[in-house]
Amino acid sequence: MRRLAQLLAAGEITSTELVRRCLERIKETEPELNAFITVDEEGALVQAAQSDERRARSQALSPWDGIPLAVKDNISTKGLRTTCASRFLRSYRPVYDATVVERVKRAGLIIIGKTNLDEFAMGSSTEYSAFGVTKNPHDPARVAGGSSGGSAAAVAAGQVPWSLGTDTGGSIRQPAAFCGVVGLKPTYGRVSRYGVVALAPSLDQVGPLAATVEDAAILFSLIAGADPRDATSTEARPFALPAWDPQVVQGLKVGVPEEFFSSGLHGEVEAAARSVLRSLEEQGAVLQPISLASNEYAIDTYLTLVTAEASSCLARFDGVRYGERVPAGDVNTMFAKSRGAGFGPEVKRRIMLGTYVLSASHYEAYYEQAQRVRTLIRQEVARAFAEVDVIITPTTPTTAFRIGEKRNPLEMYLSDLYTATANLSGVCALSLPCGSDARGLPIGLQIMGNHFQEELIFQVAHVVEANVERVAGFEL
Amino acid sequence: MRMARLARLELSEEEIELYLRDLNGFLASGRKLQQVDVGGLAGTSHALTVGTVLRPDQVGESLPQAAVLAEGPEVMDGYFKVPRIVEGQE
Amino acid sequence: MNYDIVIGLEIHVALLTESKFLCSCSTAFGAAPNTQCCPVCLGLPGSLPMVNEKAVEYAVKAGLALNCQVHHFSRFDRKNYFYPDLPKAYQITQDTYPLCTDGYLEYYIDDQLHRTAITRLHLEEEAGKLIHSGGSIVDSEYSLVDYNRAGIPLIEIVTAPDITSPRQARLFLEQLRLLMLYIGVSDVKMEEGSLRCDANISLKPQGSAVLGTKVEVKNLNSFRALERALEYEAERQRIVLEQGGKIRQESRTWDERSGRTASMRSKADAPDYRYFPEPDLPPLRLDPAWVERIKASLPERPLERLRRLEKEFGLSRYEATFLVNYPDFGQLFLELAVAGGDNRALINLLMGEYAGLAREFGHLEPERLTELLAIVDEGLITHSQSKAVLEELFRSPLSPRQIVKEKGWEVLRDVEQLREAIQGVLAGHPDLLDRYRAGEERLFGFFVGQVMRAVQGKADPKVVNQLLKEELNRLV
Ligand SMILES: [Mg+2]
Ligand SMILES: [Zn+2]
Repeated sequence: MRRLAQLLAAGEITSTELVRRCLERIKETEPELNAFITVDEEGALVQAAQSDERRARSQALSPWDGIPLAVKDNISTKGLRTTCASRFLRSYRPVYDATVVERVKRAGLIIIGKTNLDEFAMGSSTEYSAFGVTKNPHDPARVAGGSSGGSAAAVAAGQVPWSLGTDTGGSIRQPAAFCGVVGLKPTYGRVSRYGVVALAPSLDQVGPLAATVEDAAILFSLIAGADPRDATSTEARPFALPAWDPQVVQGLKVGVPEEFFSSGLHGEVEAAARSVLRSLEEQGAVLQPISLASNEYAIDTYLTLVTAEASSCLARFDGVRYGERVPAGDVNTMFAKSRGAGFGPEVKRRIMLGTYVLSASHYEAYYEQAQRVRTLIRQEVARAFAEVDVIITPTTPTTAFRIGEKRNPLEMYLSDLYTATANLSGVCALSLPCGSDARGLPIGLQIMGNHFQEELIFQVAHVVEANVERVAGFEL
Repeated sequence: MRMARLARLELSEEEIELYLRDLNGFLASGRKLQQVDVGGLAGTSHALTVGTVLRPDQVGESLPQAAVLAEGPEVMDGYFKVPRIVEGQE
Repeated sequence: MNYDIVIGLEIHVALLTESKFLCSCSTAFGAAPNTQCCPVCLGLPGSLPMVNEKAVEYAVKAGLALNCQVHHFSRFDRKNYFYPDLPKAYQITQDTYPLCTDGYLEYYIDDQLHRTAITRLHLEEEAGKLIHSGGSIVDSEYSLVDYNRAGIPLIEIVTAPDITSPRQARLFLEQLRLLMLYIGVSDVKMEEGSLRCDANISLKPQGSAVLGTKVEVKNLNSFRALERALEYEAERQRIVLEQGGKIRQESRTWDERSGRTASMRSKADAPDYRYFPEPDLPPLRLDPAWVERIKASLPERPLERLRRLEKEFGLSRYEATFLVNYPDFGQLFLELAVAGGDNRALINLLMGEYAGLAREFGHLEPERLTELLAIVDEGLITHSQSKAVLEELFRSPLSPRQIVKEKGWEVLRDVEQLREAIQGVLAGHPDLLDRYRAGEERLFGFFVGQVMRAVQGKADPKVVNQLLKEELNRLV
C-alpha cells in the first residue's frame, strides 16, 4: 500500500486509474468468484474523480486518499444497498454510514462495492448467501470461508487492495486463512460497531483484510478508536502504525496451547504452524506450552450465545420500517410471512435455537450457563496472558473445504474451533498465511494478543510474514 | 411450534421437522455445557468490563421525514402503515 | 362474605429530558409524525443505543424521592416481543438488576397518614404511537405508526400490593404525580401519556393471609378512570366469588364509554419476553458521591411542604393541602408569607377570588400582590374594593396603588363628606327613617348599603357604621 500511496503522491497514477484497474479485475474474475453483491462502478468513479481533484489541489485527506476498498455487505453504507446477503434486505438502502465507513471515507478511501457473506454473517463458508456462493480464488470448487468470504476472496483475487470484514467467531480470520490473506479481529471494543448489522453484539468486531500485515495494520489504524455512538467502544485507543522492529521476537514469550494442536487438526496445517514456531524460536522467541482446556467448550458456548443474541437482533426485521413485506390480513401473520420468506434456512435455524435458549423455561440451563462457561474461558485466557505475550495456533483445523461438503450444521460450526475463543474472551487475534498444503491451498496461522495488544501481534506477524511466500493480493 | 410463533417465523412442515432435528443436536451441546462445573462464577455478558458510558442530554439532528419513510414497505400520510393488529375473529 | 381488596400499581412516568433515552432526537410533544427519528430510535440495522445521562439522573432523583435504595450497580436487559410500535422488537429495560428498589411513598387520606411500599423503579424506553383506522384497535382494518415517541425515557415504578381500596389507589397516584412534579423529572400529564398506570387487583376473604388470583387492568387514562375501573373490577370479582366462581388470571382493559372492564388476554397467552442482558450497553455503575450530590440537591417534597405550611405558617390542613396540590400557588404563598406571621389575609386572597382569576389568566407578579395586601392593610382601600383592584391587576400592567389612584378608589376619609352623604340618604327616605325609629332596627343595614352606594363603595364600612350610628342617635 505504501507503493500505491507513493505512486498516487507522485502523480504517477491517479485514483481513477486505480479504480478502473479494480473494476477491470472485478469484471474478469467476478463471474467465477462472486465475491461482490454490489459493485458501485459509477459511485466509485465519482469518488475517484473527487480524490484526484483533491490530489491536484494538494489537499489529499490522507496518504491513502484515492485507494479503493471493498466493504462487507453487513456494514451500513449511506445510499448504497446493504443486503446482509439476505432476501429480506435485497433492496435496502441505508440512510446512514457506519462509523467505520465514515472513517475510511474521511481518509479518502473509495468504496468500490459490497462483498458477499453468509446471510447476516451466519456461517463459515459464504455458502448461505441469498446472492450465491463465493468461490475460493485458489480453487473455485472450494469455499472462500466465511462469513467474510467475499471480503477475503476479493483481496486474494486482487480485485481490491484491501477490505473490511466482521468477525463474531472467526469470520475474518477463517476466510483470511482459506484465501491466503491477512485478517485481524481487533480487541472487542477497539473498533466501533455503529452501523454494523449485529449478529451477536457481545462478540462482533469489524476488522481489516489485506494482502500484507502492514496493509492490514494501515487499514486498522484508519478505523480503530473510540466512538461516542458505540457504548462498548469508548475505552478504545486509536492505533498508530508501529516501527516494524524485527527484534520484537527477542525474548518474546509465545504460548502454544496443546489443545489447538490435537485431534481434528490436519497434518499439513499442523506442520506449517510448527514450522513457524520453530523459526520464531530460532529468532529468539521462547515457546511455552500452555493449556486452554476450556476451549473444548468454546464452540458450544459460542453457539448458545450467538443464537440467543442473534434471535433478538434479527427480530427487528419485521417488515414495518424497511425490508421486504409479504402482505397479510393482520400484523402478526405479516410478521411471520415476511420473516419466513425473507430469511434463509441457516438464519431461521439460528433464530429458532436462539429463541429456545432464551425462553423462560430454558434460559437458566442454556443461556446463563453458557455465560458462566464464557467467564471460565475468559479467565483461562487471562491467566495465559499473564504468562505469555502472544498465543500462536493454526487459524483453522483444515484448509478450505469443498463447496457443499459440510451438510451438517454442527460440522460447519466446528470451523470456528480455534477462533471463537478470542471472541469469547474479547482479545485480539489475527490470521496470516504461513504456507500452502499439497493442493496449493493456503494455510493460516493465528496470533492472539491480550486486550489492546494489536501492535504486538502485528509486529510478530510482520516477522513471520518475512519468511512466508506471498500467495495472493492486488497487482498493478 | 411454540418457538416459531414466538419468533414470528412462518415455517413449512419440512422446515419444522428439520429444525426440530437440529434442535436435538444442539441440545446435546447445551447439555455438554451443563456438565461444566462453573462453581460460583458470574456470567459474562460483556467481553470487556467497560465503565459506565453516558451521553449528555443534547438534542441532535433527526432525519427528514422522507428519509425516515423512504424504506417503508407501506406508508401513508407521514406514517408507516400496518395491517390490522388484532387477529381477525370472523 | 366480606372481602379485602388488594391492589398493586405499575406506573410509567415519561422523563422530561430534552433528547431521547438512547439517541439525540428531540422529545418535544406534538411534532409532525416521524420527524423526530434517527437510525437508533427507528431500530435501523446496525444502529446502537447510548444512554442519556439526564435520564439516569432523573431516575435516581425519583428513586431518592421515593425513599428507595439506589443501586450503584444496575444493568440493562432486553425485553423481546413483536409489536409494530416497537422498532427493534425488543425494549431496552432493566429486569434483573433495577436501578432502585425498596422504597415507599407516604400520603394522607382523610387526615390519616398512609404508606405504600415501592418494590422497584427502573429505566426503560418508550414505544412509538399507533393510530388506529377505526374507532378502536379491535375494529381497525389498519393502523398507522409514528415513532416520534419511540425511545423517550421512562421510569417504571412498581408498588407492593399494599393498597386496599380504589380510592386509595387514586390518592396514591395523585401523590406520586405531585412528587414527580415537585422534583421536576416529568410533566406527568395523563392526557398526553407522560403518566400512565396499570393496576393489579385481587380479592381475598376478609382477614385472610392468602392472596386471591389477580387481574391486571390496563388503559387507565385518568385518575377517575383508575378509581372507577378498580371499583368496577372489585365488584365484578366479588360477584364472581360470591356465586362460587373462580377469578381467571388475565389482563383486562377499561372501557371508559361502557364503564366496564373487558378481557384482553389470559395468562396462558402471556408472552415470553426472553429477557437477557443488553450486550450493547455496559452495566450502569454510579459514583456514590454523585448519588449523594443528587440526594442533597433534592427539592422539598409535597409531604414535607405540607408539614412546613402547617407548622411554620399556621395553615389548616385544608389550606396547606390546597397550596401543596397547586404548587404554583404554594410557591407564591411561600414567596409572600412570613413564617410565624399573620398570613390569613394572604391565604384568603389566594384561595378566594385570586384562585379563579389566576387559573384563567395566569399568576400575578408577587410584588403586585404584596402591594395589594399592603394597601388594604393600610386602609387605602377597603376589603371590598380590593376585589375590583384585583380584577384590574389581571387586565392592566399598573401597580395596585396606580390603579387605585387612576380609578379614584381611595377610601373616603373626609368625615364631613361622609356625614353629608349619610344625611342625604336619611333625608331621601323619611318613611324608612320613621320605621327605624319605630324599632325596625334591621333597616340599619339598608342605610349602610345606601351610603356605600352613594360614595361608590369607597368608604370604610366600619367608619360608615360609626357615623351612621351617631347620626341616627342624633335624629332619634
Ligand atoms: Mg415497563
Ligand atoms: Zn432517534
